[in-house]
Amino acid sequence: MKKFYLGIAVALVLTVLAVAFVPGVDDLVERVFQQYVGRAAR
Amino acid sequence: MNIVKRALTILVCLLLVPAAAVATAAVKQRFADGPNRVFSGGPLVSGELHAGAEPDWRFVKDIPTIEMQLLAPPTSRRIWVAEFDGKIYVWSGYMGSTVGQLWKRWPVQAERDGRAVMRIDGTRYERELVRIESGPILDGISAAITSKYPSQTSRAVVEAGDAWVFEAAPRR
Repeated sequence: MKKFYLGIAVALVLTVLAVAFVPGVDDLVERVFQQYVGRAAR
Repeated sequence: MNIVKRALTILVCLLLVPAAAVATAAVKQRFADGPNRVFSGGPLVSGELHAGAEPDWRFVKDIPTIEMQLLAPPTSRRIWVAEFDGKIYVWSGYMGSTVGQLWKRWPVQAERDGRAVMRIDGTRYERELVRIESGPILDGISAAITSKYPSQTSRAVVEAGDAWVFEAAPRR
């Protein structure tokens, strides 16, 4: 489990950095989120 | 019991990654010049500020969404817009529901302080949001809304408080 937690921690940090600094990733996240919210609202 | 607990822990940990992505994107948008899709943006900075005579608002019939920022708080969002009888209107649905009241905070903020900036096709317009709660004008506004969007807005819905309609009037 320790390795799993470590993997999750690394994935979290990489995700936050990618969304914050890699161009286009934030838009991709927002587009996917919009699709899920739209589907849930219907 | 241990297996269930462990499975739940793994599930929560895995859900943390997309949740962090969404939260980061939402926070990042708050520092941007305007909204993007669903997340609120920061103040509308770029774009020429309209000065002079009141525009012929009929052009918004061809505009699917506009960016609107309140002055207090200075956050912006993308919303629908309709024109009726030479005036423009914005509105918010689901206001009668608990989810709507939690999700849609700008109408309450706009009722407190209606000063707003709208950015349409790259031009910013200083406006004053004035809520319309009742009256026959809502029939015309509702018709303009439903002819443009797949909306259930009607005079009865607005008068019941389930949708809040604002005229984006010239700033006083």
